[in-house]
Amino acid sequence: MKGVTGLRRAAIALGGLALVAYPLVRLDDAYGQSVLIFAFLLAVMAGGWNIMAGFTGYVSIGQSAFLGIGAYTVALLSLRTGLSPLLLAPVGGVAAALVAAVLGATVMRAREHAFVIITIALLFLFQTLALNLEGITGGSNGLTLPLPTWDRDIQNLPFYYAMLALLALSVLLSWWIRRTKFGMGLIAIREDEDKAAAIGVRTPAYKVLSFVASAVLIGVAGGVYAYFLTFIDPRGMFDILASVQLVLAALVGGRGTIWGPVLGAFAVVPLNEVTNNLAAAEGLHLFAFGLALGAVVMFLPHGLIPTVQAWWERRHERQVPWERRRPATTVERAATAAEPGRALLEVDGLAKRFGGVAAVDVCSFAVREGGLTGLIGPNGSGKTTTFNLVTGMVRCDSGSIRFDGRRVDRMLPWERAHLGLGRTFQVTRLFPRMTVLENLVAPLRRFSWPNLAADAVGGPEAQRAEELLDLVGLLPLAAHPAGQLSFGQQKLAELAQVLMLEPRLVLLDEPAGGVNPGMIQRIAELILELNRRGITFLIVEHNMPMVLELCDPILVMARGRVIAEGPPGAIQRDPVVLDAYLGEGWGTTSAPVEV
Amino acid sequence: MTHATETLILGLLAGGVYALLASGLTLIFGVMGIINVAQGALLVLAGLLTFELWRRLGLDPIAAAVVTTPLMFAVGWAIYRLFVARIRTAPVSMGVLLMFALAITIEGAMGLVWKNVFRSVTPGYFSQSFHLGALFFPKAQVFGCLAAAVVLAGLWLLLTRTWAGRAIRAASQNPQGSALVGVDIRGVAALTFAIGVATTGAGGSILSVLYTLFPASHYLWISRLLGIVVLGGMGSLPGAVTGALILGVAEAFTATYVSTRWATVVFYVVILAILLVRPQGLMGSRLRGDVVT
Repeated sequence: MKGVTGLRRAAIALGGLALVAYPLVRLDDAYGQSVLIFAFLLAVMAGGWNIMAGFTGYVSIGQSAFLGIGAYTVALLSLRTGLSPLLLAPVGGVAAALVAAVLGATVMRAREHAFVIITIALLFLFQTLALNLEGITGGSNGLTLPLPTWDRDIQNLPFYYAMLALLALSVLLSWWIRRTKFGMGLIAIREDEDKAAAIGVRTPAYKVLSFVASAVLIGVAGGVYAYFLTFIDPRGMFDILASVQLVLAALVGGRGTIWGPVLGAFAVVPLNEVTNNLAAAEGLHLFAFGLALGAVVMFLPHGLIPTVQAWWERRHERQVPWERRRPATTVERAATAAEPGRALLEVDGLAKRFGGVAAVDVCSFAVREGGLTGLIGPNGSGKTTTFNLVTGMVRCDSGSIRFDGRRVDRMLPWERAHLGLGRTFQVTRLFPRMTVLENLVAPLRRFSWPNLAADAVGGPEAQRAEELLDLVGLLPLAAHPAGQLSFGQQKLAELAQVLMLEPRLVLLDEPAGGVNPGMIQRIAELILELNRRGITFLIVEHNMPMVLELCDPILVMARGRVIAEGPPGAIQRDPVVLDAYLGEGWGTTSAPVEV
Repeated sequence: MTHATETLILGLLAGGVYALLASGLTLIFGVMGIINVAQGALLVLAGLLTFELWRRLGLDPIAAAVVTTPLMFAVGWAIYRLFVARIRTAPVSMGVLLMFALAITIEGAMGLVWKNVFRSVTPGYFSQSFHLGALFFPKAQVFGCLAAAVVLAGLWLLLTRTWAGRAIRAASQNPQGSALVGVDIRGVAALTFAIGVATTGAGGSILSVLYTLFPASHYLWISRLLGIVVLGGMGSLPGAVTGALILGVAEAFTATYVSTRWATVVFYVVILAILLVRPQGLMGSRLRGDVVT
């Protein structure tokens, strides 16, 4: 593996050197230089798109709009002020970033489908504005920029090196994002946005920032490119074909990788040159790019770099030393469970309707601090919806939720997570393509701007994550993609993930559901152990022996409300509970529930 | 006042045609969750085919729908079998990119065959109008709207009165549930996609008399259709009809009282505004998204 890294570094250094030297060696090759300038531009645009689509998972097909915004901003400013467009290019980046921020802030509610549609609308809206606002933009006649002032012998060189520098910046930006907490949050959003919010990722801020990051360098490049062309018009600058080419480049190279967009851009440019020179008919150009994009989507959806990586890893599979062992129980049993104290979670009159179905119907209960509270009830009684309401994944219609005395029912999911409210899911929702360790360091205790730039995996957090993995017995699998774990292992990993929030209350949704009996025992021991360490639990579970052994008190839900509450023994004999589970008429026999 | 009345009725007539054009897009989205961004390109393709039928065989463009509709049905079926069916398990975004690639390919192919030239179909009634008091209505516009209404009514009957239609509606609401009760989901998906694309046959034929056609005009059409579908509620057929009528009128008024050049901006603004304020549109239902499937 080390050899591969060295080889890759050497190749990158060599390639970079060749690109720096090229125009000096072939000073007269204006054609070659302009082809390379276009390749750099495409790589910058593909790199930008990759931040939004590859990292965050939001596909845009109007990304070339930012090129036009940068180009028009710089051209207009240059014509008004007389300053060189090269000096003004960063302003183009600022303009693109501003538009991206505004748009990002407004499309925060939009998910996949809506986002794609909005990006198309954005591109054509800007094109139409550039066409129609003739007084400012010159309409379809376009704008002509002043000719470069420098010696004609080196005509292309400033453009060449400016664009190459932007390419370098773009790669650096992607690389930096990928290794920070910010990038980790973006990947988490791509993998499962609701889950990301549940573990404390303030998703809208992340999405807006990633939109800005994906636009800024394209805006700068737009300014440089406008000067290089010396003429811009709405159709050329807000061109959907540019969007096709940049998407194609990023997909071919590998969406979500750092070098993929660059590799892809250099693969796409030859196709551009060939079809451009072959025929005057514009049709062929489009036809070729449409076919190429379709072929890549169908036959190489992951792109070159991930495909080659996967092939390499298959050839060099490493066995993980795996020992079956019980979770570490380091704390002595002497520390008995604290006496259940005051109410940590108070739910009062909670209600949620879905159309005509009252999933939760005036539900009230309290969870005492330090306790292990069980929540049982027949299927459809509203247990999971209650969890969703408490954690904020679904908003309640009425009623109140207090956590540690504070009203939380109007708070957003990550705000509740920051207060120390964690949950696991009935069907585990780990981020499947992240490693187990990455899954553990993804949760965030708070939102702070400096923290976005912190290393994704490192520091005391990584150490704590490893301790927790050791506690649940998964440390040997830390470097494995979470999607490869067994279901039971995923349950343990998700529990460890929630613990990273240093939660005060953890809601467990069927921790034993679908798990083998041996694993159930381990999970039960783990819950007891964590409870001893001071974490309060509210557990939804259908495995009655486990609930009766573990939990006290037990809450019973039916038809959207809590109908009974008490210690296990009383609940087992409560006629109301028997009615709820077994139907009317069973209560009279008063036999203990055996499920 | 007469002017305004005329604008209103012209807007409604255009909206009637838009309703047919948008029906295929909303149907495909409702059943399959795919935004067929190639719908605009297919529409222009059907229009250009109508142009050839009219020029070479002298066929009436609106009557040409009888030929283009089954033809586009076959095209839709082929697109589904060859491309869409193969990426059914891929993420949603890949489906959009595939349809986007298809749109670009069709645009390129149309450019190669028909060149980037404006084409219009001009049958005898092209420049004639109906007179109603002081009001004038172009015959083509009236015939076009009537034809669109007939095809839409046929589509509505197909969806509500036949087993195939019931299967399509069932699949659009719960694919897994439908599969469990014996609906052949893949067959239904292919059928839906083919029917959705078939609407571009009749739609394109009607379009050819009303608008000039050129390959790149499909961007304008897909923008219009997306605006309509987003406004009406994605996946809802009554929503698409309502959205089409509203936007047809809004476009007509903008064109008359502001400028034709700003008329298309109405659609972009509607897309942005609706997706921000009421993402489910006018008639789309907001379903609970918390159920694990």
